[in-house]
Formats: sequence, structure tokens, C-alpha cells
Amino acid sequence: MQRMLTMIRKEFRQIFRDRPMLVIIFIVPVIQLLIMSFAFTSEVKHISCLIVDFDNTPMSRDLIHSLHHTEQFDLTEMTTDIRQIDERMKRWQVQMALIIPPHFSRDLERHLNPQCQLIVDGVDGNTAGVALGYARGILSNFQEKWTAELTASSFHNDVHIIQMTERMLYNPDLRSQQFMVPGIVVILLTILPMMLSAMSLVKEKEVGTLEQLMVTPLKRYQLLSGKLIPFLLLSFFELFIVMSVGITVFKISMNGSYLLLACLALIYLMTTLGLGIFISTITHSQQQSMFVAWFSMIFLILMSGFFIPIENMPLLLQKLTYLNPMRYFMTIVRDIFQKGSSLRFLLKEAIPMTLFGLMIFTLSVFKFQKRVQ
Amino acid sequence: MKSPDIIVKTENLTRQFGRFTAVNQVSIRINRGEIFGFLGANGAGKTTLIRMLCGLLKPSSGEATVAGLDIKRESEKIKQKIGYMSQHFSLYNDLTVKENIEFYAGIYGLNRKQIFQKQNEISKQLQMEPYLDSRTSDLPLGLKQRLALATALLHNPPILFLDEPTSGVDPRARRSFWELIYQKAAQGTTIFVTTHFIDESEYCHRLSIMDNGRMIAIDTPESMKKRYKKKSMQEVFGFLIREKGI
Amino acid sequence: MQLNGHRIRTVARKEWYHILYDFRTLFILFLMPVVQLIMLGYALNLEIKRVDLAVLDYARSPESTHLVNTFKGSPFFHPFPYDGSAANMDHLFKTHQAHAAMIVPSDFDRQQQRENDISVQFLIDASDANRATLIQNYCNRIIAEYNQNNTMSLSSLFDLRSTIYFNPDQKSAYFFVPGIIAMILIMISTLLTSITIAREKEFGTIEQILVSPIQSQEIIIGKVLPYIALAIMEASFILLLGMIIFDVPFRGNVILLMMLTTLYIITALCLGLLISTQAKTQQIAMMMAITLTLLPTLMLSGLIFPIASMPRILQWITYLVPARYYLLIIRGIMLKGSGGGQLLEPILLLGWFTLFFFIAAIRRMNTTLER
Repeated sequence: MQRMLTMIRKEFRQIFRDRPMLVIIFIVPVIQLLIMSFAFTSEVKHISCLIVDFDNTPMSRDLIHSLHHTEQFDLTEMTTDIRQIDERMKRWQVQMALIIPPHFSRDLERHLNPQCQLIVDGVDGNTAGVALGYARGILSNFQEKWTAELTASSFHNDVHIIQMTERMLYNPDLRSQQFMVPGIVVILLTILPMMLSAMSLVKEKEVGTLEQLMVTPLKRYQLLSGKLIPFLLLSFFELFIVMSVGITVFKISMNGSYLLLACLALIYLMTTLGLGIFISTITHSQQQSMFVAWFSMIFLILMSGFFIPIENMPLLLQKLTYLNPMRYFMTIVRDIFQKGSSLRFLLKEAIPMTLFGLMIFTLSVFKFQKRVQ
Repeated sequence: MKSPDIIVKTENLTRQFGRFTAVNQVSIRINRGEIFGFLGANGAGKTTLIRMLCGLLKPSSGEATVAGLDIKRESEKIKQKIGYMSQHFSLYNDLTVKENIEFYAGIYGLNRKQIFQKQNEISKQLQMEPYLDSRTSDLPLGLKQRLALATALLHNPPILFLDEPTSGVDPRARRSFWELIYQKAAQGTTIFVTTHFIDESEYCHRLSIMDNGRMIAIDTPESMKKRYKKKSMQEVFGFLIREKGI
Repeated sequence: MQLNGHRIRTVARKEWYHILYDFRTLFILFLMPVVQLIMLGYALNLEIKRVDLAVLDYARSPESTHLVNTFKGSPFFHPFPYDGSAANMDHLFKTHQAHAAMIVPSDFDRQQQRENDISVQFLIDASDANRATLIQNYCNRIIAEYNQNNTMSLSSLFDLRSTIYFNPDQKSAYFFVPGIIAMILIMISTLLTSITIAREKEFGTIEQILVSPIQSQEIIIGKVLPYIALAIMEASFILLLGMIIFDVPFRGNVILLMMLTTLYIITALCLGLLISTQAKTQQIAMMMAITLTLLPTLMLSGLIFPIASMPRILQWITYLVPARYYLLIIRGIMLKGSGGGQLLEPILLLGWFTLFFFIAAIRRMNTTLER
């Protein structure tokens, strides 16, 4: 016990003496949180839209107007030159174009079903799809409103229309940060412990002090826990900082139990710290370990459902995500934050995550031998 | 039964890395209180041998005991009985001298009072009072080396392994370093030292010369010189490498 | 200043061996884009394809069944009946069984007789705001369809046809192949170069070279050349991979793209050199390179998330990220076949950055090396 404390004290001394390290631990995550939660939004807003209005009547302008008053679309300008669309898209000036055909309002009144056309820049396939969805939604709503007006004036009163009322659960204001910030918490709880533990072990290896420690009677578990406990404590401190920023700056609501979150985070940290040890055993320099850690990070994030919904992935990749411990923790943290789920609802995630944690941790502890290669 | 006076004993100790044999069937016996030297060029297998005896590497074949403990099965127990210092000096450069001592003493299980005592003792012995609170990275090389030795001896181990402890240190510092080693040997510590400085080999009680993983000679420096009729160890070494080396 | 080609070659060769011997890093450098390409190319699809819809039908009439069937007819919705109470619906969302729920009131039919408007309630799991908006839109569309089918007088007034330019199948690989190229170029040119130079500083080998007759410019050029070669090799590797696996088209002018890519690589290298003059150790170089170039390139260049959707302040910051312009250029040339004239604005802006960083790097290098 005393040996372990000696190890822990030394580790803290080294961390707090290393200025770049302090910046990595205390400042970088907050900046990352601030930037990522603003930048990583799956919402699509301000799609620049070119209007090609051949009709130019009050009705066509009315239609255009319906797009105008939304956050999703920015109407750049009007033109009647159809070639402008291709040209403007190649210049990255517009992303979408709405073409209203000539005699639109006349055909409309004669019930001739005129045809409007939406043209989207498909280079960013997702934005294109989402933009089309928005536009279709807005225009069909508009059409319905119009129909109702037209029919109300010209026909008698026996039309029945189903109206939709919706309630948005857990996030009534539809703020995407409510979804992203808990995700970023997970990412930070992965990067930090993994990189720090890997780099600090490899650094001792590079300098030669690890060899010195190996010839002392210090037991393997004492050595490793002396290394890991400081990072564990720091990670919790990190969790605390990031959550306070999330709650105060982004006004994220935390609907679940802090205790449950902390317990499950502890289990998850076993996984990430274990991965850190593992990386340190397969690399020889800090540069290498950083690269390996960075690479695993990207892989874990992409497969976690952080911003790519898992159910949209091809089946094979979906199955692969079950091997990703971050996937489970991502769901857990988001559910605790937003839905206030209790452990009962999270067992499906918590059990595999615990198993992974135990497995990865034990394996890497065994891989870490008190011997040189 | 092994004699109580033999503290390190190896029997055909061999270590291979892939096809390369770093240490080839080395058998030695080292007595308590001896300063035993291993002389050889870089890559002769000295470091590999020391690492096996310290339990850092598993031997490919052969047997060895250190302080009566088997290096394959009881390597963790051996670690209580040995001190080790490598050519990297293995101190934490970002910690102060005091903190380094405190750390290694804590690792060896010394209590607060003992640690405090040791800090005083070392700082007096090495005359490093002015340096106690400065970063280890700021120390002159010779002082760093002696501090590393002092930390390796914190737990008064009966055996001390030194792996090229003097490489990169100036001659004056080397001499004061050897004085420390003699003091320790006089107190009954067995010292096992590797070097590629031939002049240092004269300081050893007994000496073994290694080349390409094999041990090509083992004796006291005096009888080596006598046997091969050479005036200095320099000539003995040259002669042996030519005649017996590969 | 007379540069000696032979000496530059010597330094370059040495650096090249460094790169080749560190096979772990090299392996990752080539494996990483492949994994990213596959993940982002196959998997990044923010549109939702499946909505599990719990239906709490209090009416149980032919009309309500008709409504449910309209939902069944859509490819997105997978409705399933729910028999519990409305108060317990929370469970469905907490266990991820449903993304949305529809509650048909018991007087669904009678309301249809009496009033004009009948209200059907939808509960949508909005923990993911984007998904919730999309689900809401889908529901809207289905309801509109139902209304049209049911009320003869409500035939649609106008049709909406949509055309998607440049990428009709909306393949995300089209979007990400250029993005990954931009990122890997930064990674090699900025991160690796700044680390190698910092490493020589840390180990003191740079002083060794500085006392030799070789000129500092020769060292820099020699050190940087192998990384340019590596960067170009990787970029072509990713490009080929994208064209072979994902059929990503190349519609524009190859030579134009190569010229502009060189401009971008130079910018990135100059950034790397600037960082290396500031950083004393590998660790600091690594940290600076990641926070100053890698993360902005990843997050603030439009690589994954559209810049237009970001808040204003962040949008201003993106103007400082060279990758922003390079992405417009490479995506424009590759996917749209844009010409140099059409991309004049990003090209000029990238050019200014190149010039600025080039001059800054040369000046900093000269002052630090001569000291």
C-alpha cells in the first residue's frame, strides 16, 4: 500500500510539473468541448437557395415566401436564367435551386398540376438529402394550407383533414447540443485516459526508468495502479469540469442520477486505461503511441454512434459495433443525461460494457510484463 | 548443496533473440563480497546477461541462481536482494534530487523516518546539499551517476548489478565512483559490473572477458597477465580477442 | 545563397530511411485513411432509414387501421401495435424499442363525422434533435398523403420533382474521399514534419548538423522533400481507392488539381516548420500540431459538418483554416468539374495563405537557425 502511494505521489508530481501536460489535461478538453459542441451538429441550416421564377405572380412569390421564413434556407437571389444553376453550384455559391415554371399560377387555378422542380447539389449527399426533406416538408405543408384555403372558399364544409400534433420528448426545444455534449463527454473520457496512460508508460520506457522500476520489488499491480490511479482521478476531475461547462454554458439538462453516471464511468475507464496500457506495450516511442492512440480513437468514435447513427450502417458494420466498448457507454451517457434512465433500462449496455472492461483490463495487465523485450 | 559463499551461480546460461545468440552457455560462480567484472566490446552480451540475472529477461536455456534464488521461478524475490543501475542512470529528470530519493526509498518500502535519514546520509556522502531541491536534469553528469548509485543502494542490497555505470563520465568522476564501489565491497556487498573500459577492469577482484556471447576467459587480472605473459590488461584483452574470439 | 543538390539528396535519403524504418507509423498512415474511407463512405448516412413507430390505437376502427396502413406503406416506418397505457410509453423510448409513437384517439371516427380537423398525437424521441426533425417531416408527409387519398377534393395542386446534381445517388464516399485526402495531407505535412524536426532538436542532433558545412536551407529542403513525396503518394493512394471501391468520379482537370494540391502541401509544410521553430520537444510539437491544424481541419473546414450550419463566430474562425479553401477546390474540381475561373475565390484565398505562411516560416527559420 505504501509503495503504491509512493508511486501515485511521484506520478502527480510529474504531471503537475509538466506544463504541456497540464494544458492537455485542463485547457484543451474545455476548448474541444466548446468547439465540438458547436461544430458537430447534425442539423442542416442556412442552405443557400437560388430561385428561378418564370412565373413571377403573387402566387409564386407566396410559395417562395414560405421557404424564406425558415432557418434552413437562405434565399440568395432570383434569376430567370436556368444556366445560372450549374454555374453557381460550380462556384459553391448555391446548394439548391427551386424552379417555378411559367404560367404556374394560371395552371394552378385550372387544376392542371403544374410541376415545380428542386435541384440540389449532391456532393454532400447527406446535406442534400436533409435539405430535400426540409424543402419537401415545407412545400407540402404550404400546399395543404393552400388547398384548405381554396377548398374552403369554393366548396362546402364537409372536408375532413387530419391534423398532426406532436410532442418532442426529452428535448422539447430540439437542441442538438443536448445530444452532442454528452457524446463529447464520452469522447473526452476516452482520449484522455488512453493517451495519458499510454504516453506516460512509453515515456518511462524511452527514458529507461521503467527498467529501473522493473528490477525493484514493486509488484506489477502496484506499478500499474500507481500509474493508473492518478489518471483515473484526473479523468473524474475532467468529467466534472466538462459536465459543469456543459450544464452552465450549454444549459444541458441532466435528468438522471450522478451516482449512476459516476459508477458506470468508473467501469468504462477500466476499458480506456486498459487500452492505454496495451498501447504502451506494443509501441516504443511517444510518437508511435500517440499515433496508435489517435488511430484507435478515430475508429472507436466512428463506430460508436457518436454522429453516424448505428442503424444506418451496413449490417456487417452494425455487427462490428458490438465489439466497440464506446458504443455502449455512448448510449448509457446519453440516456442518463436526456432520458434519466435508471440502471434497469441500461443493463443491455452496462453488462457488455463491464465484460469488455474486465477483459481488456485483465488482458493488458497480463501483456504488461515486468520484463524487457 | 551450494556453498554459502557463492552468491551468484550460472550454469550454461543461454539467451537467443530469434537466430541471434546473445549469451552462449555462460557458467560462472561469484563469491560473496567480490567485485566481479565483465569486460567486452559493445554487443558482446554483457547487458543481456545482467538483465537475465536481474529477472528482466527469461533465459532460453540453462540455470542460474542469485542469492540462492532461482532466476526463472523466483525473480520477484530476487528483486528484494539486488540493486541495479544501468547506463541510463534511470532517475526522473523532472523530479528533484530529494524527490527521487524519496520515491525509490518508498518503492523499496522504507518508512518516513528512514527516508529522511537516507536523504541526509546521501546528501552528506555525495556532498550534494546545495542540489537537494534542484531538478535532477540540472545535475552534472558525474553527480547524477553517483546519485543513481546511491538510489540503487537505498535498501542495502547484498548484491549490486552495474551495467556500464561509467559510460559517458569523465575520468575524475569515474575514479570517485570506483571509490564508492570499493567502500560498498568492503562492507560485504557483492558487486557485479560490466564495462568496456579496459583500465577499469584492473579495479575488479575477478574478471571475465566476453566476446560474441561466449565467455573466453575468467580469472583475476593479475593471473591473467601472468598466464598470457602480458604487461597490461590492454594487451591481454587484445590477445584473447585475437586468439579465442570469433 | 548557393544550394547544393548533392547535400540536399543526402539529407533527404537519411530522412526517407527514418520514415521507412518506423513501420508502425507508416502502417497506420496507410491503414487509417482506408478505415476512415470505409466507415465514412459506407456508414455515414445521417438520413434515417427506419423509424420504429409504436401505435396506440384507441379507436380500433377501419379508418384508424387505414391510417396505420398508410404508415406501413412507407419504406421508413415500421409501425407496431402497443397495448399498454399512454403513461407507460416512456419505457418504449428508454429501451430503444420505438423512435416515435402515434396515439389515435378513441373518438377518431366520430370526430371525422362532426368536425373538420381531427387531431392525432405523435410522441417523438427528440434526444437526437436532427432525427426528431426528420421524423416529424416524414410523419407530415404521410399524413398529407392520407388526407389526399381520403378527401377526393384534395388532389394535389402542384407536383414537386427533384433532381440531384453531381452525385445523384447521394453517396457519402463522393464527399469524403476529398476530405480524407485533405486531412491526411495535413497530418503528414504538418504533424510529421514538426515532430521530426522537434525530435532532432530534443536529441541535439540538429546542432551536429548545424556545425557541418551544410546550409540550414539545405537541411530544411532535404528534410521536407521525403514528406512531400510521402504526402503525394498517400493522396494518390486514397484517390485510387475511392475511384476503385466507390466509383468516385474525377470530372475536372487533373493538372489544375495537382498544382493546387502542391500549394496546399506547401502551406501545410510551412505551418509544420513554424510549429517546429516554437516547440522544444516532440510532445509539444505534437500538441501544437494537433490543436492548431489537425483538429481545425477535422472540425472547422466543412470536412464532415457543413460550415453554414455552425454559429456565426465559428464560421468566422473557419476562414482561418486553409483546409476550408482546399476542400472547396478539390471537391469542386473532382466532383463538379469546376474550372479555375469558377474556383477563383478559394484559389486566391489559399494562395494568400500559402504566401503568408511561406514568408513567415522562412523568416522564423532563419532567425532560429542562425542563433
